[in-house]
Amino acid sequence: MPRRKLSEYRAKQIVTTALDVPYEGWDNPDKLADGTYVVKVDQAVKKRFKNGLVGLKLSASEVKKWADQTREKGYEHFIVEPYREHDQSEERYLSLTRDGNGMHLTISSHGGVDIEDNADTLETITLDDATDWNTLAKKTRLSAEQLRALVDTYTKNYFTLLEINPYIVRDGVPHILDAAVEVDDAAALLVDAWGEEDLRRPPRVLSDEERTVAELAEKSPASFSFQLINPDGSLFVLLSGGGASVTVCDEIYSAGYGKELANYGEYSGNPTEEEAYIYTSAVLRTLLRSQAKKKALFIGGAVANFTDIAKTFAGICHAIDEYGEQLQKHGVHVVVRRGGPNQEKGLNNIRAVLDKYNLTAAVYDQTVTIDAAVKRLIEEVAQ
Amino acid sequence: MKLAELRKTTPSVIMLGSHPGVIQSMLDYDYMIGRERPSIVAIIAHGRKLERYFWGEDEVVIPVVPKLERLKKNVVESCNVVINVQSARRVLSSTKAAIEYLPNLKIVSIFAEQTPEAHSLELREIAQQKDVLVVGPSSVGILLPGVFKIGAIGGTQYKQLVDAKIAHPGNTAVISTSGGMVNELIHIVTGGGYGVSFAMALGGDRYPVTDPMSAMLLAEADEATEQIVYFGELGGTDEYEIAKLIDEGKLTKNVVAYVAGVVAELFDTPPQFGHAKALAQSQDESATAKKERLRKSGVVVCDHLSEIASNLSGEKLADDQNVSVITNRKKRPFISHISGDVDGDVHLLGHELLETVENNSLASLVLSMLLGKEVKSQKAVEFTDLVLKMLVDHGPYVSGAINTIVTARAGRDLASGLAAGLLTIGPRFGGAINEASRGWVDGVTSGMSAKEFVDSFVAKGGIISGIGHKKYRIDMPDPRVNMLMKFTGNSNGDRYLKFAREVEAITTQKKGNLILNVDGAIGAVMLDILESELDYTPDELRELADIEFFNALFILSRSVGFTAHYLDQRRHDEGLFRLSADDVRYIE
Repeated sequence: MPRRKLSEYRAKQIVTTALDVPYEGWDNPDKLADGTYVVKVDQAVKKRFKNGLVGLKLSASEVKKWADQTREKGYEHFIVEPYREHDQSEERYLSLTRDGNGMHLTISSHGGVDIEDNADTLETITLDDATDWNTLAKKTRLSAEQLRALVDTYTKNYFTLLEINPYIVRDGVPHILDAAVEVDDAAALLVDAWGEEDLRRPPRVLSDEERTVAELAEKSPASFSFQLINPDGSLFVLLSGGGASVTVCDEIYSAGYGKELANYGEYSGNPTEEEAYIYTSAVLRTLLRSQAKKKALFIGGAVANFTDIAKTFAGICHAIDEYGEQLQKHGVHVVVRRGGPNQEKGLNNIRAVLDKYNLTAAVYDQTVTIDAAVKRLIEEVAQ
Repeated sequence: MKLAELRKTTPSVIMLGSHPGVIQSMLDYDYMIGRERPSIVAIIAHGRKLERYFWGEDEVVIPVVPKLERLKKNVVESCNVVINVQSARRVLSSTKAAIEYLPNLKIVSIFAEQTPEAHSLELREIAQQKDVLVVGPSSVGILLPGVFKIGAIGGTQYKQLVDAKIAHPGNTAVISTSGGMVNELIHIVTGGGYGVSFAMALGGDRYPVTDPMSAMLLAEADEATEQIVYFGELGGTDEYEIAKLIDEGKLTKNVVAYVAGVVAELFDTPPQFGHAKALAQSQDESATAKKERLRKSGVVVCDHLSEIASNLSGEKLADDQNVSVITNRKKRPFISHISGDVDGDVHLLGHELLETVENNSLASLVLSMLLGKEVKSQKAVEFTDLVLKMLVDHGPYVSGAINTIVTARAGRDLASGLAAGLLTIGPRFGGAINEASRGWVDGVTSGMSAKEFVDSFVAKGGIISGIGHKKYRIDMPDPRVNMLMKFTGNSNGDRYLKFAREVEAITTQKKGNLILNVDGAIGAVMLDILESELDYTPDELRELADIEFFNALFILSRSVGFTAHYLDQRRHDEGLFRLSADDVRYIE
């Protein structure tokens, strides 16, 4: 999905290269020469200081020990740099963003963790042909060439955000103390400076099923997502389509049953029968594990444009057939609502397999609205 | 861009890439609303020359060309819609190229997901400059009921299109950031009895080329639209901009909206939902905040989808949609442009057989059939007549004739004797006209000089087809070639013959007998005539060489010669032919 965070290590390498200044830093905390270092978790987590994810003024062996302890908390990516004393008053702020109106540069002579307290010092300039680079150079203490190089590197490397906070300038040389870069992951194949392996997301402990779906998504040209919200929730969803999946969950939430919603997830892009089977199995296993007394499952989505309902439902039916007896034992009831190519065949098939195990609550086509179908689902778990 | 203008035009659509399901659904829509012919006029893709689709219960073919430059001039001129189904990495370059190349382009719909934001923003600029409505990326298309359906929007099965009730226009615009939901909303609108004025899937990216605000203004300016149904999502700030348009009085029509994503409030760290845009980066981008802002500006914001229909008003659509029914579709194993039964009578090239026979000379019939279309040029027919006569025989000594004669004397039947002769035709015997023609086309269109052309053959160590003769020389020209020259003076300046002559001027400097021979001359003059009289493009001429049209002239004509030799031998009836031992030198 498009906007993703780049590792701080890679971000700093790209930025320092653009500024044409040396960069001293490592992504391996285990093999360092003697010295004094600062080590940070490099995994797109916020408030690292507050959460104890930064180690200051450590020797090489202390860095290794610190990293080993932090690994036990589930972190795996680090950035290590030489420790340098500096005064907070030296800190400055610079960011670049782009939207439909152009590229915007935001700067301040303040920086660091207090930037939000100094929000009134932030100045945003929209860059264009008339931009006075020399004035900006004076304000930022960077050279006009360096500023232009940052803009070029932003464009060339498909950044969607570049935030340097803070940097300090000593003897005319900028030092990047922290840099956050977000990139457009749709461009992963178009750039050389970064790749899929440099993209970071905050660590999250995945359930087996979430991992199964994540792996499925990686391999397939179709898209899949599955995220547990409440493992012991009573309402499970097996949805298709980016917009419709959010809508179905919204309807559950708006009906006051948000706390009962066990998962979010969707498949789209016309997956194969086999993929639909794997995905459904993951959802059903999670459902069977829930401790909720009454459980219900919603299958479907909006009226598909080109996703073949009969084909994707065949995979879903296969999985239901496999888990049918257990589902029956758990008293699970299922509401299906879907339209699209070959919908009659798809809906008939799923009704047949649901009937086989007495799981059918309702099977609807597009003539029944999504929220009416959701209401029917909620009836299954309401007292 | 005004929708009213588009409603008046006849859609002429080019698809970049091929997506058979989408194409069929667009043709089905055309058929359903009673168009006389498909709106899709060409497909830009590799591998095939045409693709077959259903047109109602019948079949049609749509031409496929590998790039825009290969399109016919009238197609380039007429094209006003492009649908781009190529991969995300080619979206920018291919869309840009299409906008630049097609002078009357009005709409582009882009299907691919995962197009980089920066590329979409660049396209936005180009689209504005050229006043082209570009929808997407990751758009399932645009629907203008009664005019066109571009993309998968509305469904990809005929029954779906009928059930969606989108054959006739109504008063309600449908604008959605989600492809699945645009279809859902269409059903909500038509299910409520209203008609769709237009429907558009903008795509779920952060910066779609046409953003929701532009789409709203399009609806505002559209006389047919009385109200707008909008589907938005969490993430981004478009809804604030929409509210601003309303506050400023730029958007006055009633908007009924659904903004999805309130469920994000359940998460500590909200996930990236299905669409690229669907991640609220700040409180302002949450669905709840955006719904509130829209409500403040008077938008009817629905918490439930089923509330949408009851908030619509105005004239309802007549129940009777009156659309064509399709019951039986059969894919035929073959198609033919030459002949077939029409109402029980055999038709040839578009006319009843006897009528064709009566109105054509043999040469005219032959040329028309070999080209697969009726030829009206008298000059082309006369030249064909001359060629067919000239190639009819070249003595009993040539390889093909010998094989026919030997076979005849072995007592085999006519078909075997003729086949034995024909099977000799190939690169060394008889095939030179075809290869020479290909050479002249390549030479002329590549822009290389005659010298470079000759050098390229020297470098390959190959001979130039159409050049060289055993007997005739520069100072003793081939009288047959002179005869062919009666057919020069074509409107293309005889450019193929001219090139062939330039090549000859170079080769004869090397050796006196490397003259333009009868094969090379026939090829060159035929090319000039096809181009001048029948409007063949270089690509089409090259295709004629690929399918061995020029070879066909030789085979056809020489079949007469072989047949004659066969019959002649049978009349002599000399018995089995055998070489004697001293005809073959045995080397131990």
